[in-house]
Amino acid sequence: MNAPLPELGRFAEPAILILVSLSDGPKHGYAIMADVEQGTGRPLGPGTLYAALARLEERGLIEALEPVDRRRPYRLTAVGATTLADQLHGLSAFAELGLSRLARSTG
Amino acid sequence: MIALLLRLYPARWRARYGDEFAALLAERPLGPFDVADIALGALDAHLHLRGLGSYSEHRKGFPMSLRIGAYAAIAGGALWFAAFLWGSLDPADQDPGSVVGILGSIALLVGMAGLSAFQARRHPGLIWAAFALPAAGGALATLGLILMAVVGDQPVAGVYGWGLLIVGLLATIVGSLLFAIATYRTAALPRPGAVILGISAVVSLVAFFVASGQGGSSPWIVVAAFGAFAVGWIVLGLQALRLDRPAVAPSPA
Repeated sequence: MNAPLPELGRFAEPAILILVSLSDGPKHGYAIMADVEQGTGRPLGPGTLYAALARLEERGLIEALEPVDRRRPYRLTAVGATTLADQLHGLSAFAELGLSRLARSTG
Repeated sequence: MIALLLRLYPARWRARYGDEFAALLAERPLGPFDVADIALGALDAHLHLRGLGSYSEHRKGFPMSLRIGAYAAIAGGALWFAAFLWGSLDPADQDPGSVVGILGSIALLVGMAGLSAFQARRHPGLIWAAFALPAAGGALATLGLILMAVVGDQPVAGVYGWGLLIVGLLATIVGSLLFAIATYRTAALPRPGAVILGISAVVSLVAFFVASGQGGSSPWIVVAAFGAFAVGWIVLGLQALRLDRPAVAPSPA
C-alpha cells in the first residue's frame, strides 16, 4: 500500500482535495481551485494550492503537463490514483464506522 | 501586485512555478485572504526549500483562517470597547486608551483578512476598501498619537493630533460597514452577524456626529454607540466560530 499522504502533515487535507479534483482528468491551478471550492464550499488559497501541488509533484502523485497559455495542467499519476483510492477507502470505512456509532448513540 | 507577491517566493521556486502561478493569480480578483495565504505560502516555500518542512497552523487551511479571523474580530471588538470606556472614565489621560484602540483596529484588520475569503471573490473592490480604510486609519491614528505626545494640543502644519486620531478611528468604522455590506451580500458568514455589525457601525457614526454637534457634552452616547460597534464585531466573530464548531460534541467513552 502506498501511503505518502500522511507524510504531508498539515498539507494532507488540501492534497486529498487536489487529488480528488484531478481524479476525473487533468486540470490547471485555477480549475482545481474552482472545483475544490464548488465541491467543499470552502476556499482554497493560491499559496496553499501551490504548496500542496509542489509536495504532490515531489512525491510523484501528480505530474505536470505542458503549459497551455501559461496555465499548466496537472494530472494524477498511477501511484497517485492508487494512493487516492487507498485514502478514500480508508476515509469511507471510517465514515461508515462513525455513522453507525452515531446511529446507535442517537437511536 | 502580482509581481510583488511573486517576489516573496524564492528564486528557485519562481523558476519552476512562477509563470503558471502568475497566470493563476491573474484569473480572478485577489482579496486580503488570498494575499495573506500567498505570503504564508511564500514563507513555507523558503522553509521547504531549506528542508525545514511546512510552516505553521495556517496549513490547516480555511478552518484555521476562519478561527484566527473570528478570534481577532472578537479581540478587536473587545479592545475597541475597552479603549473608549477607558477614554471616558479618564478623559484627562486618553493616550493609553487610544493605544488600546489602535491595537483593536489592528486586530480587526486581522479579523477582516481571516473572514474575507469568499467575499473578496465577488466584491473585491468593496473588500479591499473595507481593508484599506482601517489600515490607513490605523496609520493616521498612530501619527495622531505621536503628534499629541510630542506637541500636545498644538497644531502641526494646521493639523491637530487628536483630529488625525479621530479620523483614523472613524475610518475603521466606515471600513467595518463596507465589510458588513460585502458579507451580507455574499452570505459567506451568517447574515444576522453582518446586519448587526452594519447597523452598529451606522449607529456609531451617527452618534459620534450628534455628540460632536453638542460640543462633546454627551460622551456616554459615543461610548454606548462604540460599544454597540464592538458588540457587532464580537457577534460576527462568535458566529464565525460556530461555523467551525463540530456538529456533535464529543462525549467521553
